[in-house]
Amino acid sequence: MDWYAILEFSRGPMFYTALLVFMAGMTYRLFSTILLGWQADRVPNRGSKLRGVAVSYLKGFGIWPFFPWVKGTLSRNPVTYLAGGLFHLGLFVVIFLGTAHMLVWKSLLGFGWPTLALPIIDWLSAVTIVAMIALAINRRINPVLRLISGPAEWTNLIIVFLPMITGYMTTHHLWFRYETLFSLHMLSINLMLIWIPFSRISHFMFYFFSRTFHGAQAGKRAVAP
Amino acid sequence: MSTQDVTRAPVAKTAVDTFVKTTGSWVATQLEACTRCGICAQACHFYEATGNPEFAPVWKVELLRRAYEQRFTPPGKLKVALGLDKPVTDRDIQHWSTIVYEACTLCNKCAMVCPMGIQLGPLIHEVREAMAASQVVPADLVTAIRKQEELGSPLGVTEEMWEERIEWIADEWEVDIPIDVRGAETLVVFTSIEVMKFPENVAAIARILNAAGEKWTISTPGREVVNFGVFEGNPERTKLFMARLFDAARSLGVRRLVVTECGHAYDLLRWTAHNMTDVPVEITHIVAVIDDLLKKGRIKLQAGKYDSLGPIAFHDACKIQRRGGHIQEPRNILRILAPNSFREISPNREESICCGGGGGVIAIQEADPLRYKVFELKMRQMAAAGTKTITMTCANCRLQFTDGIKHFGLDVQVKGLAAMVADALIEE
Repeated sequence: MDWYAILEFSRGPMFYTALLVFMAGMTYRLFSTILLGWQADRVPNRGSKLRGVAVSYLKGFGIWPFFPWVKGTLSRNPVTYLAGGLFHLGLFVVIFLGTAHMLVWKSLLGFGWPTLALPIIDWLSAVTIVAMIALAINRRINPVLRLISGPAEWTNLIIVFLPMITGYMTTHHLWFRYETLFSLHMLSINLMLIWIPFSRISHFMFYFFSRTFHGAQAGKRAVAP
Repeated sequence: MSTQDVTRAPVAKTAVDTFVKTTGSWVATQLEACTRCGICAQACHFYEATGNPEFAPVWKVELLRRAYEQRFTPPGKLKVALGLDKPVTDRDIQHWSTIVYEACTLCNKCAMVCPMGIQLGPLIHEVREAMAASQVVPADLVTAIRKQEELGSPLGVTEEMWEERIEWIADEWEVDIPIDVRGAETLVVFTSIEVMKFPENVAAIARILNAAGEKWTISTPGREVVNFGVFEGNPERTKLFMARLFDAARSLGVRRLVVTECGHAYDLLRWTAHNMTDVPVEITHIVAVIDDLLKKGRIKLQAGKYDSLGPIAFHDACKIQRRGGHIQEPRNILRILAPNSFREISPNREESICCGGGGGVIAIQEADPLRYKVFELKMRQMAAAGTKTITMTCANCRLQFTDGIKHFGLDVQVKGLAAMVADALIEE
C-alpha cells in the first residue's frame, strides 16, 4: 500500500473536508437547538444572575476540568473524577500546547504560540491514554454507567481513543513505519472531526449553555451554584 | 404499580408528544450537554439509599432524552432506524412513572454535582408532565389531586373543617388570627399539613406577626398553599390552584403573600409562577419575614433560650433553602435562639440531603418502604452531629421527620422554627 499517498490525502484534502464537516455540523447542531425557542424568565431576582454565572464558570474551570466541589463527590466517583479530569486536562494540553499540533493551528490560523517540551507532552499523552482505559473499564463495571451506556457511548470512547493512541505511537515510532502511523493518526482525527457533530462529544459546546443556566438559576435565588 | 387508567391508549404517544411540546431550547441544550458520566447518581438520596442504578437522575430523564433525540436530531432518527436506540413504549411510560414519582423528590441536588450544571430536577419535572398528560400517575397522588380540586385541600380539609380548626387554634393558643381582612398588608397562606398536623405552627406564626404589629390576614378561599398540580406535573391544575391564592390576594388588596412552611409551593410561587401567570403580589417565605422582623427590631427574642436543650441542628429543605434561597435566615435566627448549641449537620446548605418525603413522595403509600430507607441517610447525619433536636422551615420535611422518627423509634425531637421563635418572644 502506498502510505505516502494516503498520508498526503489524509492530511490534505480529507483533513480540510473533515474540518468543514465538523464546523458545518456543529453550526447545524447549535442552531437546531437554540432555534427551538426560549421562554423569557420573568421571575424577579433576589440575587445577581451575573454573579451566579461567574461563580458557576469559576467552579466549572477549577483545577481539574471539573472539580468535586460538593462534599462526597470525589470519594464516591474517584475514577470518573480523577481519570475524567486527567483525560480532559491531557487532551487540551496536548492539542493546544504540543509543538506539532500548534504548527497545525498556525497553518490554519496564521499565528502560533509557545509550546511545552516534548517530554511533558509525551508523559501527558501517556497519562491521558491510561485515563481513557480507566474510564472504559469503569464504564464496564459501574452499575449506573453500564445502565446508561449504549453503542453511542462506546463508539465515542473509541473514536476519541484512536487519535490519542495513534498520536502516541507516531511520536514513538512504535511497530509500524512512520508514514503509516502518521496516516493512521490523521485518518483517526478526520474520523473524529466528522463524528463529533453527530455525537455527545459535542458536549463541549452545550457545556456553555448548561453551565450558564445553572449559574443564573442559582444566582437569581442568591445561592451558590 | 397501581395507576389511574392503565388501559388508556396510546400512552406512549401522548407522553412523547408532551415531551416534544415542552422541549424548547432550554430542555434541548441541557440534554445535549449530558456526557453520560453518571456522577449525578451518587448525589441522589434514592440511589444512595438503595444502590438501584435505575434511580440515577440521568436514567430518570432517559425517556425525555429518547423522545427528544428521536424527534429532533438526525443521529437519533438514524439510531432508531438501525435498532441502536429504543422508541418509547407504553411499558416504558408505566415503568418510569414509578421511578419519577416514587423515587424522586425533585430536590435538585443532582444539579449541584453535575459537572455540566444540568438542571436535572426541572428536567425530571418535565418527565412528570408527560406522565401526567398520559394519566400514568400513582393512584394515591390522583386521590389527593381530586381532593384538592373538589374540597380545596389534598388532605380533604373542607372549608367548614378549616374554619373550625382555625377557630380552635385561636382559642387553644389564645391568639388572634385575622380572617379575610380587606386592606391587610400581608396575606399568609398555610398548608393544610400545618393546620391539621402542626397547629402550634399556625399559632406561632400568628403570635409572631401580631407581636410585630403586622397588618396580616388569612383567606378562606385562598387557604391552601399546597399545590398537588406541581407534584403531578400538570400545568393546568397548577395554575388553577395558584389562581385560588392570587384571586384571594387581589380581592383582599394585599401587598404581599407569605408562604408558610411549604417547600414546593414556595418554589412554585416565588420562582416559577411569574413564567406561568400574572402574579399580583410580592411573594416571600415566612422565615425571611421573621429574619426581617428581627433585623428591624419589630420583634425581640430571648437570646440563648434553647441552649439548654443540647445540640440543635437545622435541616435545609430542598425547596426553601437550596432552591428557595433562604439559607442564611434560619441560621441568623438560630444564632440568637441557640448560639452555643446550634450545630450544622453535614452536608448542609445548598448541598443538603433531602428528607425523602418531598415532591409528593410522602403522599404515595406504595413508596413508604423507599421513603423510610432514604430517611436513614438523615438519621446518619443527625447521629454524626450528635443532635437530639432538629428544626426546619418546611412542614412537609417535618411530616417526614416525625413519621421517620416514629417508624424507627428514635430519640430525636422535631421542632418547627416558627414555634421556637414564638416561644422565645419577649412580648411587651
